[in-house]
Order: sequence, then C-alpha cells, then structure tokens
Amino acid sequence: MSNSQAGTKSIGNRLWKIITSPSRMMLTVGAVVILVSVIRQFTGIDDITSPGATGATIRFTIPILMAGLGGLWAERSGVINIGLEGMMILGTWFGAWFGFLYGPWVGILAGAIGGAIAGLLHAVLTVRVGIDQAVSGLAINLLGAGTARFLSGVFFIGKGGDVNISPQVNSTGSFTVPGLSPFLTTIAHKHILVISDIAGVFAGFVTKINWASLVMFLALPLTAWILWKTRFGLRMRFCGENPVAAESLGVNVYRTRFIALAVSGGLAGLGGAYISIVSTGNYLEGQTAGRGYIGLAAVIFGNWTPAGVLGGSVLFGLTDALRVRQSTSVHALLLIVISLAAAYGLTKLRKKDWKGFIINMAIAGLVLAYYMVNKVVPDEFVTFFPNLTTILVLAFLSQRLRPPAMAGAPYRKGEEG
Amino acid sequence: MQKKTLGRALAGAVAAGLALSVVSLTGTAASAAPKKMIGIAFDLGGKEQPGFNQLAYIGYKTFAKTNPGWTEKDLQGNGGDTDASRAQRLKLLISAGCNPIVVVGYSYENALKTVAAANPKIKFSIVDDNIDGAANVEGLLFHAEEGSYLVGMAAALTTKTNSVGFIGGVNIPLIQAFEAGFKAGVYKVNPKIKYQSTYASNPPDFSGFNAPDKGHEAALGMYQNGADVVYSAAGSTGQGAHKAAFELGKGHWSIGVDADEALYASNAKYKSAILTSALKNVDVGVASFLSDVVGNTFKPGAHFFDASNGGVGFTTTGNYLSKATVAKLNAIKYSLASGAIVVPTDPTKVTLPQG
Repeated sequence: MSNSQAGTKSIGNRLWKIITSPSRMMLTVGAVVILVSVIRQFTGIDDITSPGATGATIRFTIPILMAGLGGLWAERSGVINIGLEGMMILGTWFGAWFGFLYGPWVGILAGAIGGAIAGLLHAVLTVRVGIDQAVSGLAINLLGAGTARFLSGVFFIGKGGDVNISPQVNSTGSFTVPGLSPFLTTIAHKHILVISDIAGVFAGFVTKINWASLVMFLALPLTAWILWKTRFGLRMRFCGENPVAAESLGVNVYRTRFIALAVSGGLAGLGGAYISIVSTGNYLEGQTAGRGYIGLAAVIFGNWTPAGVLGGSVLFGLTDALRVRQSTSVHALLLIVISLAAAYGLTKLRKKDWKGFIINMAIAGLVLAYYMVNKVVPDEFVTFFPNLTTILVLAFLSQRLRPPAMAGAPYRKGEEG
Repeated sequence: MQKKTLGRALAGAVAAGLALSVVSLTGTAASAAPKKMIGIAFDLGGKEQPGFNQLAYIGYKTFAKTNPGWTEKDLQGNGGDTDASRAQRLKLLISAGCNPIVVVGYSYENALKTVAAANPKIKFSIVDDNIDGAANVEGLLFHAEEGSYLVGMAAALTTKTNSVGFIGGVNIPLIQAFEAGFKAGVYKVNPKIKYQSTYASNPPDFSGFNAPDKGHEAALGMYQNGADVVYSAAGSTGQGAHKAAFELGKGHWSIGVDADEALYASNAKYKSAILTSALKNVDVGVASFLSDVVGNTFKPGAHFFDASNGGVGFTTTGNYLSKATVAKLNAIKYSLASGAIVVPTDPTKVTLPQG
C-alpha cells in the first residue's frame, strides 16, 4: 500500500519536473514534434498537422478557454462557479439576438453582458445571501436554460426562428496574414519531414483566423497580467486563499468577489457568444453541450493557472478537432502513445528500474497489438480521452495541484478564521 | 377578524375558480366527442419547426384538403421533456377530444405505450417507430436508405474531385442505414471514388444531432481533404456542413436530409451550396394514416414507406443537379420501387462492387 503510494508520488514528481523545467520542456516538445512528424510520414495521415486541423482546434478551444478563464476568475476569488454552463447559454442567446439586430460585435458584447448578469446573480446568492455555492450554480444552469427558452419563444417566432432556434446571424470577419499564410501552406503541402509539420501548424495560426478568436484569446494574457501583476489581482487571490485575513487587512472581500464573479460570468458569456455567432451562425437550444463543465475541468487540469487552463482547453479542443475531421488521425496517434511508453520504459532501464521498464514495455506492447489488430480506435474512447487525461492528472499530480485554499468555503463578513 | 374573512373569501373565490375550470375542461371533453379533431404531438419545437414537425403538419393539411370538416390541435415538444411529460401531452390531446392522434418522433415511444394501452378507442400513429402488440397504433417507418441511395448517386455524379463525404449525427443503427444507402449509391456510380465518413457523437451522447459547430468542422475537414460533396444525416448538425460548403464557395456542395433543407429559414444564407436533399416524406405517412382512419382501413402495426409509395425521394430546389443526373435518379427510383435494387442498411456491409 505504502509502496504503491510512493510510486504514484514519484511518477507525479518526475512528470512535474519534466513539465516545469524549461530546457526539458523544449526538448520534450521537440521530441514530440519529430515523433508526430515521423508517424504522419509513416501512416500517410496528413491531416494531423494540416493548417485546417489547427484552425479547427482554435475554433473548438476558444469557447472552452473562455469558460475555463471564467472558472479561474471565480475560484481564485474563492467562489466555485458551477453555473458557467448557464452563463454560457445566456451568452449564446444574447449574442445571437443582439447580433441579429445590431451586428456580430454588438452581439458579442451583449453575450458578455448576459453572462455577467448571471455572474452577478451568482455573487448576490453566494456572497451576499450565503447560499451554498454548488446549489446556486446549479440553479443558474437551470435558470439559464429556462430563460433562453422563454425569451426565444417571445422574440424569435415570426422573425425566422422558433422556440429553440434564432434567426441567422452574420459572423465577425476573419483575416489571413498575406504572404506568410500561402508560403507556409505551400510548405505544408510538400509533406517534408518535420518542416512541413511545423509549417502546417503555424499556417493554421495565420490563415482565416476570426477576429473574434483573436480578441477573445487576449483575455488569457490579460487575466494572467491582472492576477499576478496588479493590486486587484493580488487582493483577489488573497480572497481565495484566506478571506478572513484579507478582510482584516482592509480588503473588501464582498466587493472583490462581486467583481470577480461578474467577470467570470462575462467570460463564460463571451464563450457562449462565440459559439452562437462564430461557430454556428445562430442560437440553437443545447448548443453549448456541456462546455461550461468542460471549462471547469480545464481549470483543474491547469492547476488554477492561466497557462494551465489554456493547456487543458487545447487538450479538449484538439481531440474534438482531430476526431471530427478525420477519425483515422486518432488511430495514428496511438503510435505516439506506443513510442512515448517505450521511450519512458527505456529511461527506466537506464536507471535499472526493471519493474518500471517491464510495465512500460507491456503497455507499449499491448497498445501496439491493439493498433495492429484494429483499424480504428472506438470513437467512444476518443471522445472520452480528454476526460481520462484529466482524471489521470488528478490521480498522478494531485500532490502538486494547488487549488485556492478557501474556494468553495462559505464566508461571512466579520467572521473569525 | 376582518383579515380572516377576507382570506376565506379569497379561498372561496379560488376554489370556485378551480371548480369552474374543471367544469369547463370536462365540458369541452364531453361536447367534443362528435367533433372531428386531429391531435398532433410534436417533437422538439412547433409546427413551423422545419423537418419532421413541419412535414407532419403538411401531412395533416394534405388530408384536410380532401376531407373537409376536420380540424387539428397540436402541442409542442420541449427540450427538457421526460416520458411523463410526453405522456401528459398525449393525455391533454385526448381530453381535448382529439382522435386520431399523430405522434411525431420515436422519443414518444415509452409515453405512447402506456397512453395507447389506457385509451384503446383512440387511434394513434407514431413516426419512425412501431409499438409491437398495440391494437390502436400504426407505426410509420421509412426506408430512409433508399433516399440516401439516390443522393449518394447524385453526389457521385456531381463530384469533380472524385471524393465525397458522409456526416452522421449519432452513431446508431437508424443513422447507419443512411450511411449504408449513401455509400452504396456512391459506389454504384463509381467504385473508385474516395469515401470519407464521420459521426458527430456516440450514444448515449445524442448531442450530435444538435451540433452545427461540429458539422462545420467535420465538413471543412472533408473538403480540405479533397471531397467536394458532403451528405449530412445529422439534424441541425447538417446546418454546419452547409455553412462550410457555402464559405468555401463554388464547387463545394452539401446535401441535406429529411426535408428540403434549402427551404429552411436557418439555411437561408447557405441555400446556394445545397445540392439536393434526401427526402423522408413524413407528410405522406401521416396523410396515409389519417385516410386509413377515416376510411375505416386502419391496420395496427408497422407501415413502411419507400420509393414505391412516395415515402422517399430527392429535391431539385435551385436546379443544381444536371438534367442527366435528375433523369438517371428518376430511373433508379423506379428500380427501387419495383424492388430491382435492394439497398443495404449496414454501412460495414457495403463493399466495393465486383470488378
């Protein structure tokens, strides 16, 4: 028992070291790029590193990233926000309706406001009234869905919509970097080892990028800057770690949490508006499809840091993009799993850790056998893959995960710690 | 004291009101018995919801034209429906005096099972489903693979890149039959065509019928990998595929499903990219059921609709299909109707034709 625990911890430690050391990270990234490239060349599945796959990944990632950042703002200030899904739904509705009336950019702003209103409601219920944070969040999810349905019935019927669908909305424009985009795309289509892969991925970043994607992505550096470089960010994190101490040092915990939750809802609303205006082109009931909850998973995956949230969102976005575009891509990715397990096994061998070596080689062998026998990976597994990764992160790195200490704990003004 | 009397008066008024409403309810039910009213319980959305709902309503209208005196009462389905709320909806139609009742969509299966058994005098029909052993339910089933076969041929005859794609909503046998028909139609024309296929979600996740963003990316992926015609049998998800074809512009086609998708308000912008739609004529099924009831030819159990009785077909809205293609498809429709061509329903069984 204690032995296995120690084992888990050491895996966690080692993974953590690989992830945190910059030089090692560069090496790891380089190795993965070469690996993916070789596998692409070998299997002939060129979609993995195509510009189109990058573009799709960006469009799937942005809504999850927005929800994730929303979750980060809320939890850093000490309030868990399960209501992200409901806030996103309001974002899709307000985005579509105001986008239909006044154009897409007004729609995006309206989506943010719609989400922020729900965020403020969450603040009133949890911070002011003192309702359990999970209960309030669930209530907001139900309320968001119900409100959107009701408003659709009132506003959309007779305007080219129905109780569950809005009229069509124009999308925000997109841009392509002239010169660079065709240059990189040409290289990508040549299928040269490594070079074409890197060019393909980068071409995706400069080809037909929606302005809304770019603008919303800026929320990430902005959040990082506010959280770590500004006085407000420091106070916000303080409220999440120890609200009693913060209050005693003159920080207005209630006000800070109100602001944080309004921003949290606003970000989720932006994600919703992105879905209805950019991804879809109209509001459709149920189109958020649980992405608010996935955003929360990205927060945990990302260890409550902005960069980590980005990592988690990309994991979900990338899996979705590869699966939906070409399910055979994922089959090729199994080769990566095999190679990584084998390589890790070999490092064990160097340290004369026979048990680790055998386990890793066995994993590699099993996956390889599976790869040889089956032509496709079951779609169900692919869909579940990011969730599984999040669970593995929780299992192996839980010693290293550091949520805000008082996130989720009720707090009343004037209370003692 | 005064407060108390006021309270009592209020309570009395409320009780009287309740009693009145009960009386009025039973009153209508009693007087409605001789009334000729058809009940329609819709799937998600109302009668203007393009797709099955609208088609079922059109089926009623076709029937009403030749059978004057019949009216209809319809109730909408909700996103949060449960078996209980669906059963409640059917009971409401019954208490309003509706008979027969058209039930749109297999999601009503469990609700209808109980309600039909409890009301043996009411005649029901259910779209896309059949309830075994129920003596008062007609199941309206469609050989959708035949319509898909037709548009598969249309895709193969239209493609310039010799590459086509299929997007399914949810990976279930109902949708796999669409893929099988499409694939068989494609290979019938040209066995050398490159064929791609994907499903937006897997059961028990049914979001794949309602995910235009995934349809958009899936179709983009297929077009970028060489396809120039993509068929979506995926409900609202197909809207995303139309969007992708529209964005890529000339030479990229999308094919709709169930009803003429080029006429949907939600596809208004993209209709220049919709090559054709594989029809599943729910209206034909509904009109046939209503005529059966009126003509005393009602027969419980499964009723099949296919190319032989106008149950499936394809559209030519926008005239994007060439004249030669349309002629060929019409000829194939006759072969389907006569049974000369039998379309498979399992996509894994569709292999390249010999030679």
